[in-house]
Amino acid sequence: MKYLIAEDETDLQQAIAHYLQKDGNICEVASNFEEAFEKVAIYDYDIVILDINLISGSGIDILKIIKKNKKRAGVIIISANNSLSDKLEGLDLGADDYMTKPFHLAELNSRIKAVLRRGKYGGDEVIEFNEIKIDTKSKAAFIADKEMALTKKEYDLLIFFISNKGRVLSKEIIAEHLCGDDSDLLDNFDFIYVHINNLRKKLTAEGAKYIKTAYGSGYKFIED
Amino acid sequence: MNKKIKLIKKTSKTFLFTGLFLIVLSSIVLYFYTRNLLQNEVEEVLYSTEARVVHALENNENIYSLPPVTEVKKIHLLKKTFLKDTIIYDPSQDEMELFRELSTFKKINGKKYQITVRNLVVETENILVAIVVSYLIIFSLVFMFLFYFNTKRNLTIWKPFFMNLEQMKNFSLTSKEPIHLVESDILEFSELKSEIETLTGKVKRDYENLKQFTEDVSHEIQTPLAIIQAKIDTIINENTINEKQFNQITSIQKDIQRLKQLNKKITILTKIDNNQFISTTSINLTDLINEKINNYKELTSNTIHFTATKNLIISMDAFLADILINNLITNALKYSLKNNAVLISVDENSLVISNIGEKAILHPEKLFQRFYRESTKNQSIGLGLAIIKKICDLYHFDVSYQFTKNRHTFSLQFKK
Repeated sequence: MKYLIAEDETDLQQAIAHYLQKDGNICEVASNFEEAFEKVAIYDYDIVILDINLISGSGIDILKIIKKNKKRAGVIIISANNSLSDKLEGLDLGADDYMTKPFHLAELNSRIKAVLRRGKYGGDEVIEFNEIKIDTKSKAAFIADKEMALTKKEYDLLIFFISNKGRVLSKEIIAEHLCGDDSDLLDNFDFIYVHINNLRKKLTAEGAKYIKTAYGSGYKFIED
Repeated sequence: MNKKIKLIKKTSKTFLFTGLFLIVLSSIVLYFYTRNLLQNEVEEVLYSTEARVVHALENNENIYSLPPVTEVKKIHLLKKTFLKDTIIYDPSQDEMELFRELSTFKKINGKKYQITVRNLVVETENILVAIVVSYLIIFSLVFMFLFYFNTKRNLTIWKPFFMNLEQMKNFSLTSKEPIHLVESDILEFSELKSEIETLTGKVKRDYENLKQFTEDVSHEIQTPLAIIQAKIDTIINENTINEKQFNQITSIQKDIQRLKQLNKKITILTKIDNNQFISTTSINLTDLINEKINNYKELTSNTIHFTATKNLIISMDAFLADILINNLITNALKYSLKNNAVLISVDENSLVISNIGEKAILHPEKLFQRFYRESTKNQSIGLGLAIIKKICDLYHFDVSYQFTKNRHTFSLQFKK
C-alpha cells in the first residue's frame, strides 16, 4: 500500500512513517501545504494521513482537492482540534476518519486498516492471519474454518492485534482502544487482562498461540 | 453588614432633621430675644414716666396718683430703687393682671417720696406670641416647600445614576452585549459612566482573552503530546529495553492520556462558556443511556441496572447530551465499590443514578467545583462533575447530590 503523510511536525511525521513502513507499505511525506498539494495532485495514494493545521495552509483544502480530482485515496484527518464541528466538517467533505492528537500509532494503524477494509480503496473485507479468518462484514471470526464465540470486546481486540501484528502493545494502548475516545475509565486495567486472557484461551484451545507477553506487562501478536 | 438606607431617603432624612432642629432652636432664640427687647421697651417707658413724675414734683405741681399706673406716696425712709413683676386687680378689666412695676425713692424739695409706676405686661406678651407664631408658620411653610422641592430635584438629578446602577446589576461577563449606560449633564455622573464603560470593556476583553488563551493552550499542547506519544510508541517497538524501562515508558502513556482528557474537558468547559453549543435537538436520553451501558458493559466489574418507566426526551445539544450521560455513568462506575451495581432510573422528567460508596463525601458543597477531589485513588482529573454542573446550569436542569444508604446518588430534574 502507498501512504502519504501530510504533517508539518517532522518528528511526528517520521514516527508515523516508520511505524507504517513495517508492514511493507510505502510511505511518502509532505511537510507543508505546497508539498502536500503537489503530491496529491500528481500521485495516487491508497491512504492520505492529513494534518488539518499545515503550515501555510489548511488540510481541509487538500481534502477538497483529493475529492475534486476523484482520487481513490482514503483520507484520515489528524488534528489538534477536538471540536465536533471540525470533525463533522472533515467527515462531510469525504474524510474517512478523524483522529484527535495525541493518538497511538497502533490506533492510527488499525484505523487505516479499517478504512482500507471498507472495500472502496482496494482492501479486503476479510482479514486473514494463518488459520484465523475474520469477516468484518458479518463480524464473525473463524479459526481453521470453525466460528469462534467471541464477545464484542474480544472481537475488537483480535482485529486490533492482527492489525498491529509484530508490534509491542502496552496495556495503556489496548485500554484506550477498547474504551474509545470518550472515556477516561482508564485507571482500572483489570478488565483488559480479563478480555485478553479470555481471547488468549479461546485461541490457544485451537492451537493458535499468537498472543505473547512482552516485557512482563505488554503484549505482542506474533507467529512463533 | 449595617442596614442599608436608600440615598434619597438618607438625604431627605438629614434635611428633615436639620430643618426641625433649626426651627426649634431659632424659635427659642427668637422668643428670648424678642421678650428681652419688649421688656427693655417697657422698662424704658417706666423710667420715662417716673422722670416726668419727678419733674412735676420738683416744680411743686400737684401730685397725681393714678393707681395702678402711677402712685406717689410720702414716706419717712428712703430705700433702693427696684423693678419687679406684680399682679394687681384691674378694675377696668375686672380681673387680676400682670404688671411691671418700678419703684423709686426720692427726696424732692426736702420731702421724701416713693414713686411707683406700672405698666401692663399682657400687651407685650401678646406681641411676643404673635411674632413667634407667625415666624413658625412662615418658616415651616418655606421648609416644607424646600423639602418637597429638594426631594423631587434629587430624584431627577440622581436618575441617570439609578438607571446606570440597574444596568450594572444586569451586567454579565458571558453575554456578548456591551453595557448600555445613560448620559448625564452632571460632570461626575458623566465621568462615572465613561469609567464604568472603560472598566467593563476591559474586564470583558480580559475575560475573552483568558478564555481564548485557555482554548489556545489546550490546542497547542496537543501537538507536542502527539509527538511524545509517537516517540514512546517507536521506543517500545524499535529499541531493546528491559522490563523496568518498559513499565516506566508505558506509564508515561497513561500520563499523556490524562493530559489529553484534561485538555478535552477544559475545551468543553470553555466552549460551554462561549455559548458554542447552540444547536438544540430532541434527544431520547433513555436510548442514549442504553447505548452507553452497552458500551461500558465489558469494561467494568460493576453491573448497571437500568429502569425506565417512560422515555426521557429532552431538548438539548446532542454532543452535550452525550457528555452529560457519559460523565454521569463513568463517575458512578469509577467511584463504585468493585463488583457492585450502579443503579440508573429515569421517568419522563428525571434521572437518578447511584453507586455504592464507602463513605459520604466530606464536602458535598464543593463536589461540583473544578479540580475538587477527595482522594487520589482514582487518577481523576476532577472536571467530570464540573462539566455535568455546567451543562445542567446551561439548560436549567436541577442537579443534586445525596448520600443515603451507602449510595452516592445524583438526581437530575428536567423542568419542562
